[in-house]
Order: sequence, then structure tokens, then C-alpha cells
Amino acid sequence: MTHPMIQFDKVLKAYGALQVLKDLDFSVDNGEVVSIIGPSGSGKTTVLRVLMTLEGIQGGTMYVNGEPLNKMNVDGQLVDASKAHIRRIRSKIGMVFQSFNLFPHMTALDNCNESPIHTQGKSKAEATEESMRLLEMVGLAEKANHYPSQLSGGQQQRVAIARTLAMHPEILLFDEPTSALDPEMVGEVLEVIRDLAKSGDYTMLLVTHQMGFAREVSDRVCFFDGGKMVEQGKPDDLFGNPQHDRLKQFLSKVLEAG
Amino acid sequence: MDWRWDFTFDVVLPKMWQAAGVTIWATVASFAFALVGGLILMLLKTNRSAWISRPATELIEFIRATPLLVQIFFLFFLLPEIGLTLPPLTTGILAIGIYNSALCAEVYRAGFQAVPKGQWEACTALNMSTYRTFRDVIIPQSLPPIVPALGNYLVAIFKETPLLSFVAVAEIMQVSKLIGAEYYRFTEAITIAGIFFLVMSLIAAFGIRLVENYVKRSILH
Ligand SMILES: Nc1ncnc2c1ncn2[C@@H]1O[C@H](COP(=O)(O)OP(=O)(O)OP(=O)(O)O)[C@@H](O)[C@H]1O
Ligand SMILES: [Mg+2]
Repeated sequence: MTHPMIQFDKVLKAYGALQVLKDLDFSVDNGEVVSIIGPSGSGKTTVLRVLMTLEGIQGGTMYVNGEPLNKMNVDGQLVDASKAHIRRIRSKIGMVFQSFNLFPHMTALDNCNESPIHTQGKSKAEATEESMRLLEMVGLAEKANHYPSQLSGGQQQRVAIARTLAMHPEILLFDEPTSALDPEMVGEVLEVIRDLAKSGDYTMLLVTHQMGFAREVSDRVCFFDGGKMVEQGKPDDLFGNPQHDRLKQFLSKVLEAG
Repeated sequence: MDWRWDFTFDVVLPKMWQAAGVTIWATVASFAFALVGGLILMLLKTNRSAWISRPATELIEFIRATPLLVQIFFLFFLLPEIGLTLPPLTTGILAIGIYNSALCAEVYRAGFQAVPKGQWEACTALNMSTYRTFRDVIIPQSLPPIVPALGNYLVAIFKETPLLSFVAVAEIMQVSKLIGAEYYRFTEAITIAGIFFLVMSLIAAFGIRLVENYVKRSILH
């Protein structure tokens, strides 16, 4: 039996009385590239954050490649996951943030090396070789010894992508990876993400406001509203023939805004 | 003013020399205690379990709300009661160290909280251990605000050491009082004690500035 790579089973996330994810059922297959779109406050970022375990959830279960993430099996019973269990499952997930979150006191290379050396136990030489290959891939090999403050936003985000890839995740989460960038730098970052999507090496979950890009790279697009997935489908279907009124409204607004 | 140089050189300085060493030792030892103790108190205070964080918070508040002199007397008279007889200097270092641990805990907490949330989240996303998160990411970035604040406590501790004269520790204040009482001359000894504190404070402030600049240069690029 094959499992989805990511599965949300009745996931409930609330901040106090505010329910941000309401019994969310949602799954992503291995190697699938899925974009999440929706109005502000609909819970898009929250989907990524709970999966990355940056936030706890109040109900339901998340599975990664068939294994529970926030729970674990003890003698056939699902109990709350231990720290060690979470860390083991979490090692399969990498996340790229809207605001990059590079470590400002480390060079681009050291940013990439940190996790491979200290959480995967690689030697410095081994890690450096791999990190350099990844920096090369995002077009920044010659900036390896620069600090984040010496890089443009677009370059910082590309380093952040390389840093995430260096830990060999199977799942890549992107939360509006270009929305903090000046317009002229958006292209260089999208290009890297496009290549990753095409490679088929990763299961990708992408939150974006860029409908054109979502349509181009995604296998599937999901429309969120009010903490629920309202509609999903192949990009051409979802954008070309939306079913729900709320999606139609959303798309016409977005297209108006350009 | 009646100032006698022969008395200064023959009697005061030789006695004060050793006392200055005691003062410096008491300062350094108390400061080292406070650096480590403060970190431990901060970690206890921010512990997830209320069984740990609540008592730690109360303890910190208690320590901060009581005058240091009272705490010095308290330890000096209480420890022997429970069968722990320490030399006065050790008791004094303990008292000043504990008192300043409570103050340093707050410095650490503020410093760690000043590190942007995104940095903690990046550590989680990179699956780093708590130890690595603190060692490689949080502590280095919180040093620039923490170092000057801790430096201020070093100088404050230095200026608190004369309180130890109340429990007869032979630090510089105690010795100058003794000289005064023995020779009925206070001018020279007290003046020299004052100059000593002034000079040492200036040196310490200068040293702290150097460390501060070094930290800034090596961490913030
Ligand atoms: N830490 C928090 N405390 C309280 N409420 C929060 C918190 N984080 C998010 N929320 C609320 O949860 C809801 C969903 O937020 P989320 O960030 O997932 O939205 P989003 O779809 O990513 O929106 P955007 O397009 O603006 O990024 C919003 O109403 C938001 O105000
Ligand atoms: Mg968002």
C-alpha cells in the first residue's frame, strides 16, 4: 500500500477561540507539487507551520509518508509524540520562509553547513562539498563566504533554499518565498523553485499569491478559505473553470489587482 | 588637610595592597558565580513545566526584593546554624553571587528574547537540537546586548564588595577602617580606598568596552 507523502487528518488549529484550521483533511502524494492559494487569513501559512511543528495543533493527526508526526505508535496505541519521534519525522521536512531567516552571524556556506554537520553528523569536508554544490546550483557559489547582510534579498532567499536542501528533506515547504523581495529579484528565486518542482525529487507545498507561477509549476492547486480547503484541482481546471463562488470572487479580485 | 606621605607609604599601602587583592578576588569570583547562576536561573525560569518555572520565578523575585546586606548577614549567621561553617570571604562571595545571579538571569532572558522569532523557527526547520540552537544561533546573537549589561553588573559587584566589611572580610574597606581605628588617622586609608575603586572602575569600563567592540565586530557583520 502506498501512502500519501503528507496527510492531514481532521487537523484542528485554534488560537484561543479563533479556529484557524477546522478539521482539515488534506493530502499530498509523493513527488507532487501542490500550491495553496486563498485570501489573507485563510490559514495557508498555518498549514505549513503546523506541519513544520512550529505550532502545536489542538486536534487531529498529521502523517508524513504514512508515519504519524504529532503522534506515535506505542503498543498499537497512538499517543502524543515524544521530542525524539518528532525530530526523526521532522528531518524529512524542510521549510523556506518568507523572510529567509538566515543566520546573520554565519556566512552563506556556514548557514548551509550548520545542520548537515551538527544534526546529521557529516564531516566538515563532506558537508562543505555538498553545500558548495548546492550554492552552485542556486547560482551563488562565488558568494559562499559572504554574510547575509552582504547579499541582496533574492540572493539571501536562494541561500536559504540551498540551506534547506542541504538537510536532504523529502518535503519542501515554501511560504510566499518571494513576497518580501523587490520585484526585480522575484524571477531569480522563482527560477530556482521552478527547477526544483520540475526535478520531481521533492514533494512540494507552496503558498503563493503568484497565480501565474502556481498555474505553471503545480500538479494541483488548492484554494483555502476560512480554515478549510474549499476547492482543489489541476491548475488549468481550477483557474479556468472555478466552481465555488468564493473562488470565483477571489480570482477576479486577484486578476483585477494584477 | 593633614596628609602624611611617610604614613601612607610605610603603613597604609603595604596593608592595603593585600586587601585590594581580596576585593578583586571577591569581585571576580562573585561575578563568575553570577554568570553561571544567572544562566541556570534563567533556564529554570523559562522551563516549560510550571513546577520548575514557578519556584524559580519566586526565588528570583525574593532575591531581588531583599537588600544585599540583609542577605549577607542572613547567610553569615544562617549557614553555621545548619552546620555549614564557611570562611567569611566565601560566604560573602556566595551572597553577592546569588544576589547578582537573580539580576543576570533577567539580562539573559531579555537577550535571548531579543533574538527574532524567525531565528528560532529556522533552527526548528533545520531540525537542530536545543543545545545546538542555543550554542550556535541564539547565544551568539544575544551577546551584543548581553555583554554590556553583564559588564555593568561586574562594576556593580565591585562596588558592592565593601558590604563584606560588615562581616569582617579583610577587603579594602575593612582594612582601611582598621588602619584608621588603630592609628587614629582615616584620611590616607579612606582616600586610597576611594582612588582604588575609581581607578579599577575606569579600567573595568575600558575593558568592557573592548570586549563589547570585539563581540560586535565578530558577530554582527
Ligand atoms: N500567533 C497567532 N496568534 C493569533 N492568531 C494568529 C496567529 N497566527 C495566525 N493567526 C491568525 O490565524 C489566521 C490564519 O493565519 P495565516 O497566517 O495562516 O493566514 P494566511 O492564509 O497565511 O494569510 P496571509 O495571506 O495574510 O499570509 C489569521 O486570522 C491570523 O490572524
Ligand atoms: Mg501567510
